[in-house]
Parts: sequence; structure tokens; C-alpha cells
Amino acid sequence: MKNEWMPSAPVTVNWAITNRCNFRCRHCYSRTDTNEELSFGELCSILAKLGSAKVFSVNFGGGEPLMRGEIFDLAAKASGLGLAVSMNSNGFLIDRATARRLKEAGFQKVGVSLDSAVPEVHDEFRGVKGCHGRAAEALRYLKEAGIETSISSVICRINVEDIEGLIGQALSLGAGSLNFHNFKCSGLGFVNKDSLDLSPREWREFYVFAVEQREKIKDLHISLEDPIIASLGQGNSDSLVRGSVCGKLSLNIKANGDVTPCGFIPIVIGNLCKDDLMELWSNSPVLEAMRNKTPRGKCLNCGHYSDCLGGCTARALALTGDINNPDPHCWME
Amino acid sequence: MPRYYRKPDAMWREEEASKNLVMKGFEMGEDVAEIGTSIVLSSGKMHALNVLGTEVWKLCDGKTGEEMVSILSDGFDVEREVLERDVKAFLKDLKELGLIYEE
Repeated sequence: MKNEWMPSAPVTVNWAITNRCNFRCRHCYSRTDTNEELSFGELCSILAKLGSAKVFSVNFGGGEPLMRGEIFDLAAKASGLGLAVSMNSNGFLIDRATARRLKEAGFQKVGVSLDSAVPEVHDEFRGVKGCHGRAAEALRYLKEAGIETSISSVICRINVEDIEGLIGQALSLGAGSLNFHNFKCSGLGFVNKDSLDLSPREWREFYVFAVEQREKIKDLHISLEDPIIASLGQGNSDSLVRGSVCGKLSLNIKANGDVTPCGFIPIVIGNLCKDDLMELWSNSPVLEAMRNKTPRGKCLNCGHYSDCLGGCTARALALTGDINNPDPHCWME
Repeated sequence: MPRYYRKPDAMWREEEASKNLVMKGFEMGEDVAEIGTSIVLSSGKMHALNVLGTEVWKLCDGKTGEEMVSILSDGFDVEREVLERDVKAFLKDLKELGLIYEE
């Protein structure tokens, strides 16, 4: 099914500028990714391509983006080009001085991962003792520096029973928003899916509860970016496209410049060191296929397909090998 | 007479490919009102504006509604009354969406 309208360039680009990381997360999607990194000059050339395509925002990630010292200079350049600059970090390296430097470099928003309100549970999941406390401190320093903060929590077996705890934690840390990320079976997430992923029924229960909380709690923006919640009457009214936004509003760049539709889909459509961004965006057969999916299986007769467009493409690909298959998290019969 | 301004934090861009599509549609006499020719991102929400909306948006730099109508009447082949009504309605929508403010 075709999206009626497609922007002429990505609106957001997620960019893993390094694959190095100081954590050992059980669900990490990128541990098997390339260790190759681009020079600062190459990073700036790519940035120029994003600027000339009028991309609105760039979100740095990794790996841990702060493992790459040039992040501050790169962010300042991005900001100078008019891009809104943000980052996803584990928070471990953000002290008061770093938070100030991030602000000076032009970061508008920084998301910090916190997967449990129980320090030991978070530390065990992320593989580093004491990292919960460091993440909480990072959030306070960022706020103090005047940077908008968000907390990212990957919903899985370790935290699904304590969603209220995660909400309470976000409120007490003064985060602007709490992003509940759905679990992706990519990289180590695939390897550990049996012990971490939820069943479709459990996903439904989680979303019903999370939607209730989102409506009830006014001091915190709770984000649930998962197309399958369309079947709960929760279409994404803030978005211009239906279904997953990957390859429709956003693209992903890897540490070596390779471009993929999203960080969880390991299909390389080009490399921005040599390819033109607009050419890839307009003519990639992979993106074309993602934008025009063909319903299969239970999606064929589902009344919600026109809103969810089969759900998360990354999950369908990872677990079934076909982007057109129904999202394996979907609970519809 | 209020003057209209875009919210300073709003990011926006014109969509050249869609604009070309609209121009072709105009030539063929097609209805192009539903085609977005620009995107506005503000407060985490994205909005697509059609061709008239885009032109009004671009003029929200301190102009009055009347000044906008005078400028747009050269480019749009519609009766002035219709244009006045459309511009007014559009400014109202933009204001309700929190994308512009007036002084």
C-alpha cells in the first residue's frame, strides 16, 4: 500500500558516528557493525550533504557518541548549518562540564538510556556497575545546562512489570519526555530475544497500560512510537506518513558512512562518502519497497492495515525475512 | 490590523518535487489543494502545507492579512474575495496550530 505523499528529502537523520562503546548492553543492535570510522573531514562532507538537502535534524548515536571526541565540533558545524542537533547517550561520560560543552556545541536535546527504576536491574542490563547512578546524574547536569532531556527505555522482560516505576523515575528526574522503545530483534537483540522479548499478548497489555498513563500524566510527554498501536486507535497524528517512519521521514547513517533505512535494518542502500543523498532517497529500490509494502498473511484482512502498514519493518525482516510480512509483535488475530 | 509572524522555533522547508507536481497539475486544471508543498516542524509536530498555505506561510514575516492578499492576487488566478476568505481561514488555522503569532 502506498503512502500518498513523501517528502523530497529525509526530515531526520540518525547517525552512528562511532561504533565504539563503553557499555555491554544485552540487546545492542550494533555490536557486529563496522569498527571503521570516518575522518572528521569526511563527517563534515556528509554533514554538508544533509544541510543542502534541508534535513531538519540530526540525532547522533552509536555506539556511544561521546566516545568520539569530535562530537562537539561536529555538532557545532551541524548547528551552524541550521540543523537541530540531538544525541542518544548512555550518560556515563556526561558530567557537569561535558553537559555545558554539549550546550555550547548546540545540542538542543539529549536522550539518556534508563531501562529500569531499579539501579541493579539497569546496571545488569547495560553491563556496567553504577551506570544507573551516572545516567541519573547526567540527566540532572543536562537539565542544569539548559538542554532538553528525554529518557529512553527499551521495553522488554526486565522492565515490563514496572512501567509505573519508569514513569515515576522520569518525573523525579525532571525529564521532558519518556520514550518507550519497542524491543528490536536486531544484533544482540536477536541473539537474546527469547529471554528479553515479549509475546504479542504482552505487547498489547503493555501498550494499553502505557496509553492510559500517557493520557493521565500531564507533566511528562510519553512517547510510544510503534505503528502497531494503530489497532488501539492510537495513530500517530504528529507524523505525516502512515506506518513506520523509517525510509519515509528518516534515514540512518553508520560509522563508515553506509546508509540504511533505519538502524535496525541491515540493508545498505549506499554510502554518503560517495553517493548523493537525494539520489538515494528518491531512487533506492529498498526504500521504494518499504514505502509501498504489500500486505501478507493476517494483514490482508485487517481493518487497521491502512494505518499501521504492517507495523515495524525491521522486526518483520529480522524474524521472518520479508519486510511485507506482519510485524511479529502484532496481537491482531 | 494584526501583523503575522512565524514562530521562531519552527523549522520549515519547501518541497521542490511536490511544487513541480503542483505546477504541472495547475497546467492540467487538476485539483492540487491536497498536495503538500512545504513541511513545517514545530514543537515536535509536523505539518504539510499546500501551495496556498506555503505562500501564506512565507509571507508571515510581519505582514497583515490584507498585504498578503495583495501580494498573492498577482500569482493566483482567483477572485479577490475568494482569496481573502482562503487567506483568512488559513491564518486562523496556523494560529490555532500554534505555528504563527500576531502582533
